[in-house]
Amino acid sequence: MAFLSRTGPHHGTASPPPFDRARLIQWLIFLVTASLMLAPALPILLQVVVDRPLYADDWQFTLGNIAQIFQSERIGRIALTTGLFALFSVIIAEVLGIAAALLIGRTDMPGRKVMGDVLMWPLYLSHLIFALGWVIIYGPSGFVTQLIAQSTGEAPWNLYSIAGMSVVAGISQAPLAYLYCLYGAVRSVDSTLESAARTTGAGPLQVLRKVTLPLMIPSIITSTALNLVIAVETLSIPLFLARPARIDTLSTFLYAEGIAASNPNHGLVAASSLLLMTLVGSTLMLQRMLLRHGHRYETVKGKGSRPMVLGLGKLRWPLAILFATVLITTVVVPIAGIILRAFTSFLSPLVPVSKVLTLNNFDKLFADEANIRAICNTVEIALLSAGLGTLLAVAVALVIQRSDFRFAGTLEALAYSPRVVPGMITGLGVFYAAVILPPMGWLRGNIGIIVVAYVMATLPLAMGVIQPAIVQIGRDLDRAARTVGADWSDAMRFILLPLLKPALLGSFILLFVFHLKSYIIAIFLMAPGLEVMGVSMLSLWTNGDVGVLAAFATFQIVLVATLLLLARFLFKVKIYD
Amino acid sequence: MTELVLCDVSRRYGAALAIDSLNLTVSEGEFLTLLGPSGCGKSTTLASIAGLDQPTGGRITFGDRVLVDADTGAYLPPEARGFGVVFQSYALWPHMTVENNVAMSLKLRKVPSAERKKRVAEALDLVELGGLAKRYPGELSGGQQQRVALARAIVFRPPLLLLDEPLSNLDAQLRQQARVWLKDIQRELGLTTIYVTHDQDEALAMSDRIVVMRGGKVIQLGTPKDIYRDPQHPFAASFIGNANLLEVSGGAVAEPGACTVTLADGQPIHGRVPVGGLVSGKQLLAVRPHLIRHEACADASEITVEFGAESYLGDHFEQDVHVAGITLRLSVEEPQPRGTGRIWIRQQDAVVFCADS
Repeated sequence: MAFLSRTGPHHGTASPPPFDRARLIQWLIFLVTASLMLAPALPILLQVVVDRPLYADDWQFTLGNIAQIFQSERIGRIALTTGLFALFSVIIAEVLGIAAALLIGRTDMPGRKVMGDVLMWPLYLSHLIFALGWVIIYGPSGFVTQLIAQSTGEAPWNLYSIAGMSVVAGISQAPLAYLYCLYGAVRSVDSTLESAARTTGAGPLQVLRKVTLPLMIPSIITSTALNLVIAVETLSIPLFLARPARIDTLSTFLYAEGIAASNPNHGLVAASSLLLMTLVGSTLMLQRMLLRHGHRYETVKGKGSRPMVLGLGKLRWPLAILFATVLITTVVVPIAGIILRAFTSFLSPLVPVSKVLTLNNFDKLFADEANIRAICNTVEIALLSAGLGTLLAVAVALVIQRSDFRFAGTLEALAYSPRVVPGMITGLGVFYAAVILPPMGWLRGNIGIIVVAYVMATLPLAMGVIQPAIVQIGRDLDRAARTVGADWSDAMRFILLPLLKPALLGSFILLFVFHLKSYIIAIFLMAPGLEVMGVSMLSLWTNGDVGVLAAFATFQIVLVATLLLLARFLFKVKIYD
Repeated sequence: MTELVLCDVSRRYGAALAIDSLNLTVSEGEFLTLLGPSGCGKSTTLASIAGLDQPTGGRITFGDRVLVDADTGAYLPPEARGFGVVFQSYALWPHMTVENNVAMSLKLRKVPSAERKKRVAEALDLVELGGLAKRYPGELSGGQQQRVALARAIVFRPPLLLLDEPLSNLDAQLRQQARVWLKDIQRELGLTTIYVTHDQDEALAMSDRIVVMRGGKVIQLGTPKDIYRDPQHPFAASFIGNANLLEVSGGAVAEPGACTVTLADGQPIHGRVPVGGLVSGKQLLAVRPHLIRHEACADASEITVEFGAESYLGDHFEQDVHVAGITLRLSVEEPQPRGTGRIWIRQQDAVVFCADS
């Protein structure tokens, strides 16, 4: 046999490299992540305890900023408003989300597929667009409000209130609760658990209440925590709906003091940021504590089991009509309102729409060079950030999950730390860092600074897509690569990375869409020539150019929708799946 | 001679010891099998040799190379050891063709393209898969995948081949063919091979020597014949060949040789002691089901028993017999009528061990 005759001297092992390449790469990933995560956080902490802006000379240490927070009655009131707003919006989001998950995931309600898709719309759009839609339709001079006021003589509701904000935020966050409950519990619950309950004599509704709902608790806790965080940091909803009524939340306060004010009080801004981060951090800590005994709710055991479908009987159509009505009034109508407003000069029930149709808003939108620049910048930044962010996320995830790197635990904590930092503060931190840290100075004045902030802020999001995909790949595959002579980095490059392609694509598209609609992070990083779509839209609102803003919003909606459809049909990637 | 030497190797996971001070020497060209039930430490031992797991104590050397030494902290990663490994799951890379799976090791070693192609083709011919080079692993049957995994592990001519239950995912018939085939290849290439399995038939059929393991320790090491015919430990007797283990009592026996024990009802059995050092009191008697006879024969103890239920196993029956509160399994061609009867056990077939081993 030829093989036998050639079994001369063994072909040895792959010559060992003169240094440990794998270790070097792991350290590099660790250092990049650590500096990216810590560089923006440290300047904020410093700013909290100094008496004047970091970029000024001769600053001195002081505790005055913190004292000011605790003494200020105004900040107390703002914190209370923020808390109430967060609480109400989370309750609305969770109730809607849980009900939708059960109805859509588990019953034979007619039209549940379409309704499930429509329910997701708010997640694909920014709060800014969603809030705009609500103002156009349900605001004090909104279309529907006016329509009702015409017949009754008075406005039926006041959207510019804590209650109004909570409804808008609650509905825009319901998809998140829905997704967590649907995929975390409703879809993955082993149906034998439910069948078991039915054999003991429980009816279908009792099974939902006594077995399925309790199994959803971890998903409910997780989505509640995330929604609380989002409610605390959201800017556009309170800015659009509360500012006109002179109500402030922590985020609008930060915006007013840090951006809009002619002479920003950086100490106070940093101290309130710290307060915000503490709020968010303790929420997430609480979530982890609550879920420490998560194995008690272990649901993913059986595989490939088909969830039991619950027959609604006589309630089928009434429930479907109720659910459809809620979706149409809260999601479809506001978005239709934006599009309609974009193509009209004026929108009111008193004037027939056909008389005010115009393309004027779009002409104005595209006539302004700054807007064109904003669109180009946004696309460029979103592409760069999505690419770099996916790259960093996969590198970090591979070190955490597939290496024996000693500080893998620390690396994971670092990578997930942006979850406690609200987006606006990430931007603020990067801004401070660029001011005082010399190596970051070269980022000032170009899109690099926004890319850095975006990559940092969305690292947990990308990790959330990539880590579960890595778990799916058997460990023997990279171990096998090691035994045939690949070192850690080769095993990752030749085996893991190619197998992760679909997850990487999914992460890229998710980040890209996220960055397209993002505005909060970039607020503190704006400079002439550095416009991005979201921030330009925010200033259009501030200037009262609602028509142009609606046109811009319509443009963004079309952009995002095209992208998502392309991803779905071209690459077969469904984000949030 | 390139010997693989494991010296006092231990692997501790928290409080649990997966391997407990293992000592082993594997000589060149040998086919050595690690045999034991799941959790006995056999796969951990294999992983420690491959470099996929790092022992917490002891030392492993291969020739004059130190692979791992817990005292000095020396540790050679798997890629620097260059041993061929076949995984239980085969671990074929699903995104690469058969050819590319096999060629990976040569690419990493920067073997020139012409030579690489030739060697991949040779390796695939050797495992009789020449025609499937362009296929993807997902398009192959279990048996074919297992062959690709072997080709991938030997194409770079490793000095040592490590096989982790490579046949356990095949169906019974295929497993038997693969066993012969695998042994043939090993013999032709003269590869030093360490084979992990829980299947006694595989171990007996293929090995030059077998290491019987339990609880991270070596229970017995020897040729298949030694292990089967002359078990030194009741676990070796019961795990290989399914011997009946009976609680009996007997006197102290210092040296290996003949002995007499009694059942709880007082019936005596003449047997032999393989290792000596037997203390008086409770002892264990091991006897294989097919060596218990139901006809009188020379040099055998006669025992009165109750014949019980039988089960039909195709080529023979297995029948329970009850005596002195214990149940024995008996392998017979025709079942005996139920009720009182007699059995005979030859002295050489009744092996007596300490009760606490």
